[in-house]
Parts: sequence; structure tokens; C-alpha cells
Amino acid sequence: MRLGRHEITLDPRPTLRPIYTVLTAVVAIVVALALSSVLFLSAETGPFSAYRIVFSYAFFNPRGFLATTHRAIYLLFATYAFLVPLRAGLWNIGLPGQVFAGALASFAVPLALRAAESPTPALPPVLIIGLMVAAAAAAGGVLGGFAGILRARLQVNEILVTMMLNSILFWLVSYMIKEGGVFMGATAEGESFSLPPSLYAPLLRGVPFTAVLALLAAVFLDLLFAKTALGYRIRALGENPAAARYGGIIPVTLSLMVFLLGGAFAGLAGYHYFAALPGVYKIPGNYGYYGDLAFYGIISALIARGSSLGAVPIAVLFAGLSLGARFAQGALHLPFGVDYALLGLLMMTFVGSQVVYNFRLAWRRVPSEAASSMTTGMPEA
Amino acid sequence: MTAPEPLLAARGISKRFPGVVALDHVDLDVRAGEVHAILGQNGAGKTTLMNILFGLVQPDEGTLTLDGRRVRFRSPHDALAQGIGMVHQTRRLVSAHTVLENIVLGHPRARGFLNLRRARADVETLCNRYGFRVDLGARVWQLSEGGRQWVEILKALYRGARILILDEPTSVLTPPEVRTLLAGLQALVRDQGVTVLLVTHKLPIVMTASRRVTVLRSGRVVARLPTAEATEEVLIQHMIGRDVAFRSVGRSHTAGRPLLEVEHLAAFNDKGLLALRGVTFGLREGEVLGVAGVTGNGQEELAQVLAGLRPAAGGRLRLDGLDVTHLSPLDRWRLGVGYIPAERAEVASIAAFSLVENTTLNYHFDPAYTRRGLLDDTGLAQLTQRILSAYNVKAPHEYVRAQHLSGGNLQKLILGRVLSRHPRLLIAHLPTQGLDVEATAFVRSTLLDARASGAAVVLISEDLDEILSLSDWVAPIYEGRFGAVLPHDEADAETVGAMMAGLPMREAGAR
Repeated sequence: MRLGRHEITLDPRPTLRPIYTVLTAVVAIVVALALSSVLFLSAETGPFSAYRIVFSYAFFNPRGFLATTHRAIYLLFATYAFLVPLRAGLWNIGLPGQVFAGALASFAVPLALRAAESPTPALPPVLIIGLMVAAAAAAGGVLGGFAGILRARLQVNEILVTMMLNSILFWLVSYMIKEGGVFMGATAEGESFSLPPSLYAPLLRGVPFTAVLALLAAVFLDLLFAKTALGYRIRALGENPAAARYGGIIPVTLSLMVFLLGGAFAGLAGYHYFAALPGVYKIPGNYGYYGDLAFYGIISALIARGSSLGAVPIAVLFAGLSLGARFAQGALHLPFGVDYALLGLLMMTFVGSQVVYNFRLAWRRVPSEAASSMTTGMPEA
Repeated sequence: MTAPEPLLAARGISKRFPGVVALDHVDLDVRAGEVHAILGQNGAGKTTLMNILFGLVQPDEGTLTLDGRRVRFRSPHDALAQGIGMVHQTRRLVSAHTVLENIVLGHPRARGFLNLRRARADVETLCNRYGFRVDLGARVWQLSEGGRQWVEILKALYRGARILILDEPTSVLTPPEVRTLLAGLQALVRDQGVTVLLVTHKLPIVMTASRRVTVLRSGRVVARLPTAEATEEVLIQHMIGRDVAFRSVGRSHTAGRPLLEVEHLAAFNDKGLLALRGVTFGLREGEVLGVAGVTGNGQEELAQVLAGLRPAAGGRLRLDGLDVTHLSPLDRWRLGVGYIPAERAEVASIAAFSLVENTTLNYHFDPAYTRRGLLDDTGLAQLTQRILSAYNVKAPHEYVRAQHLSGGNLQKLILGRVLSRHPRLLIAHLPTQGLDVEATAFVRSTLLDARASGAAVVLISEDLDEILSLSDWVAPIYEGRFGAVLPHDEADAETVGAMMAGLPMREAGAR
């Protein structure tokens, strides 16, 4: 771009200091918030007080913060589900399907053990909860692994397979919980049965134990990719499949493995949201909303550049802003969809910030002779 | 005698990249209607200079003048508008499109509605004027490398280029294609007044094709002279700054015990055609088998079958008596097979990985560098440091990404990494392709060191001199078969060359 006798160009930024990563993220958030002030124009209050409502509900109101935490855990599991296959160069778009599979599997455990209705279950509740978690992870893993094995053995595109599985699982849940389905609740309101209180997930200050799993997984995944031979092989496969094969890495096993692991995390997300959250403990009729929410895992994995620990603050932010904006929408009588619009803008500024992260603006003086020749030589500019 | 006014002149061009000065106050004078060669080793700054002339890279300092006018190119668009065209080292064509579609692609007139009939008439006029015979309706993927290059040249001329920059134009061409290219360029210059800037590190090309030559070394101009006054020796000295003594093969040592037995080995290529059609040979420890041939006669498939990356369609492969025909690449690495693929940037290394991580590519399975599934980061870093210093790899540190290494340094790293495993069988496919004189000499002497330490080496190359100077056995390959496996004493350039072209042994020997 030319400005008088100076010009600005985008030059690639070769060395990246860690401080830039944080700085660009902060700038992206601030820009997104500035842009979304337009959304609050119809509110009686100004944008600043509107944001005060968003943030104070999301992060400083005890109830709001608890909701933020619950949603952040869900988003984190969804993030890992996308992130692990991504490191191997594969795209898991099947997050909702794997979430539903995890939810169905975890509710299948008490159903099979007849623990839902009987006051004295056959097994100790802790054991049943453990089985529910394991079943959720296994079901998500199997669904992911199905796409993984098609990919590894037959080179079937994993994006198509996982997306189609999403639809299948969506209707499978519907079949199971509505109009006489096996999982249907006693009230017949298109919801699944509710878990008995004995099977409620143990809470720690109101937060289910899945939070611990999510944080441990963040540490585990970063260590896996940075320190282990297996993680190295997955990354090599993702960066350059031909070189990986040359180095003796077997793509078939790894493709299957990353989808099993990724699917298992999505299954845990399903367990967390439907079977572990206080006040839920059932698959509600609007379960599709939570499935779609899983897609934010894609964005947060991409923004975190494949780092699971880096995804933690991003997931918290996404969770907080979506809940805070929804709360502000009600409190200030804002138009419907403010929360989605805010997340959308945030996504765009994050993506835009990648340009700032990878390039720098160079400010140069144009030599006078060259400037004059340019104007004659260049018809457009 | 006063020098004529240069058509294109660069004055004091400098360009710094992080950690390196790519160009250090470079002056260049290109006169109208000449073939001007830019000679230099890998990493001397040739390509950076050309990218500046073509507007792809902005210089930090310095000026360009064209026809005595100061110019400034902010993008290739500017350069093209001023009549400067560039043919890159790698093809930039849409292979599924026709030649005509590729030529008009990106032309200002091709914006909006595309009038292919009018474009065809224009391009045909151009072809007639320059005497090109190109099938404009052919799809680019159907053309040979040489044909594709002509499409790119034609494309540049169609955009109105008066100055043509060719970056390493001969690196992927067969010898006949090189001759055609050079003759065509001479005709363009002689008859049409086109000016050609020829970037190369091949001395014979410079000697036969150019009128004047500018030699770059480490980002500086070290010589600027008419080709008629230059000799190959002088140019080599300018290029590398000192004499390079090529080592010849020491024939004193005796070969060890038999290591490799290959019987009727066959393989399909990616298109499902039988590209390797039954080769048989044996190799002892401390011997080099040179497989000589023009690319595309089954060499790639041979290398990959030996390394385990391509299944054998038939035949048998024994290593030290053990049948390894169906073993995986990983098992072969473990058994002491080392493979240096021809595609060093695409297959043998990972651009976004650090040098340490690239070393790990051959060590992630090695118990000496992994413990309970964890990689030994310190050990791998030390190993990489040892490889960098032992193999003279120029890199700021071992955590730099592989994409920042020049081709020669990358190849030295790959060679060092593979040889650090002390392979019993080493497969080296085009190990010196595209390397400068110094790196080539280094790679060749390293291969001989491996041979001296008892490795059996299968060297697959197009360079007959390389094959003849390094090999104990020479196998000319043609259409997937060995014409013969000749002992070094019986392999002379004429016989092997004739067999590479497909003549049978008897006729080839009789020539």
C-alpha cells in the first residue's frame, strides 16, 4: 500500500517469539469485542456496561462462572477430539456424532444394569460411574476408529465419513429417546430417562470430576507430542506422509490410533455434558445444540496451534463469552443470537490475527526516482 | 573500448534473511541481446538475486535500472509489465490444463471473459515468429519436462518478456533436452533480440551457452568476465574460492563377504505398469554398484523396492542370507539398510521440523535414543550436533527448521544422518543431483568412506562420470532391466552410455 512517499508492505515474520502468540491473542479479543459493540447498539445501556454484564456473569458471578467452567470442560474435550487427528494431518469433523455416541453409551450402562429404576443397584455406584465413563470413551473411540480404519485401509476421505456419521448418530439418539425409544424417559417428553442421584458424578466445588480429566489430558497430550516417540511419529505423519513412510512410520496404525483417541475424547465430552453436569443428568430434547457446540473444538484447536494446554484459556474464553452474551441478551432485551455473533466475530479476529502473527508490516520510504518511474510503469496500483 | 550501456543493471543490491546475508552489495550488468550466465554454488545468492530482479523479493538496499531508468518492482506483476519474465526451477503450470490455457493463464487479457480462439491465434503467431513447434491443445501432464519448460518460456514471451530469467533450467532435463533448450535460447537471442539470464551451477552449460558470466560466492560478486576469456578451472576457483581435488576410488582394498543377493526383482510403478522388470545382481561388503540410466527407466522403483517402500511384484531380495523381500521399511532400517532418496526435500526430510527432529526420522525406533517410549532429546541433539560438524553442514544451530537449509546442506545432513547408523547396505539415489561442486565432491568422498568401512553401496545416478569414478560394478539400466553388470575395468563411458540408450551388450561393446 502506498501512502505518499512511503509504503507499507506485509513481510513474512521469520522468527516468532512466544510473547507474540499471547499478544496477538489479546489483541484479537479486544478487536472482536470492539467490533461486537455494534450488537449492543439496540440496548438501553452503552457497550461498556453491556460488556460488564457479559464478563461479570461469565467470570465473576458464582452461578455464571460455574456454567462457564462446565461448558469449557466440554469444549476442551471437543478440542482434543479434533486436535489429536489433526496432528497426524487428519480432520475429525465427527465431533457431534462422537459426542452423541458417548452420551448413548454412558446411559446404556445403567440401563443394561437396571440401575436406573432399582433402588439397590447390582454394583457399587462408583463402579457404575467408572463404567459409564469408559463406555462413553469407548463408543466415541469406536465411532472415530471406524472413520480412521476406512481412511487408513481404503483411503476413504475421513471428513466425509465423520460428517455422515454425525447425521446417523443424531437420528439414532432421536430414535432412542423419543416416541417409545429404549432410552425414553418416563415423562415421554422426547427426553431420555434421568440418572438416579446415586449415579451423579462426584462434584468438587460444584464442578464434576471430568474437569480433572480434561486438565490431565491437556498435560498428557502436550507431553505426548513433545516428548514421546509415538507423538513424534504422529507429527511426522501429519507434516509429511512421504517422509514418515521413508522413516519407517506405518500410517495405517497411526491413522487408526489418532481417530480412536480423538473419538474417545469426544465420547468423554458426551458423558460430561449429559451425564455429569448438575441439573442435567439426562439427554435433553434439544441435544443437537450441544452437538453443534462441539464444532467450537475445531476452532479452538486451530487457534491453539495444536497445543492442548494452549487450548485451555481459549476454551474458557469461548465458553464464558457464549454464556455471558446469552445472559446479556436476556438481561438487556437484545436481539436473538448475540452470543453466536460474538463468537463468530471472535473466530474471525483470531483467524485474522494469524496474519499479524506470521507477517509484519514494513514501513519504507519510496526513493523519489523509483516513485516517479512506478507511476508511469504501473497502470494499476 | 567503452562498454555498451547495460539493458538491466543492479547496483549495490543487499538482502538479509535472519542469520544470513544472502546478497552483499551485488552489482550486475546485463547487456541487451546476450546470454548472461549467473554462476555460483548452492546458497551463493543466485536465486535471491533473480527473485529481486523479478519482483518476488524486495532488496534491503540497492537500486535497479532498466534502459537507464530507475525501476522498482514490488511484485512479479511490475516486472512482467516492464518486460522481465522468469522461468522457475520448479514448474508452475496447471498440469490438467492444455498448453494454451496455461500460456494465457494470468495474462491481463485473460481476465473476465476468456477468448481462447483469439488467444490461440496470438500464441500461434508467436510460435511461428520464434520457430517453436508446440501442440497447444496437449495437456501439460502429457508433456516431457523439456516440453513443459518450453511452455513456461512461451508463457513468459506471451506476456511480452524481453528479458528472460531461467533459474537452473537444465536440472531436470535429459541431455538431448538440454541441447534443444540451449540451441533454442541461442536462436531467441540471435534472431529475436531477447536477453537471457541463465542461472546455473553447471560449468559446461556456462561454457557452451553464455556470452558473459557473473560469478557469485556467499552473496558477493567475485568475478565478471566474458565467457570467451574464461576456462572451467578459473570459474571453479572463483565459485568455491580454492581448488577442489576430486578423490579417485582407491582400488587397493579387497571386497568382503557377499551381503546382498537380488534375484529377478520386479516392481510396478505408481501407474500400475511394470517399471522394474527383473533385475539380478549380488553385492559384497565394501563394494559399490553403480546403476547408470536416464531417469524413468525403473531406478526410482528399484531404490524403493530395496528400501521396502514399494512392494516387490516378483523376485527375491536377500540381505546377509536373510530373505527380506517382504519386510517393512522399519525392519530394514533395523537390519542395517540405509536409504538416501532422490527427493531430499519431499521424502528425506520434513521442512517444518527442526534439524534435531529430522535426525529423529532415522532414530525414533532406535532403543539407544528412546526409553519407555520417550525420546532422548539430549542424546538426539548431541547426535545432530555431531552430524552437523562431521558433515560440514552450515546451519546456525540444530534447532533451525530444515526448510532454512540450502539443498547442499540438507543433503549433507541427510547423508550424515543415514551414515551415522552405520548401514550395511546403503542405497543412494541421485545423491549429488543439484548440488554444487564442493558439496558434490563431499558427498562422493563420503560414499567412498562408507564403502571403505565395509558398507555395500547401491549408487543410482544419471551422471556417468560419477558412476564410473565411484563404482566397482556398473549396471546400465534401460526400461527396467540391467543391460549387464560390468566390472569396473570393463565399464567404459561409450559402452555404458550405449547400453543406457538401450543397445544390447554385444552391439554396445562393439562400438
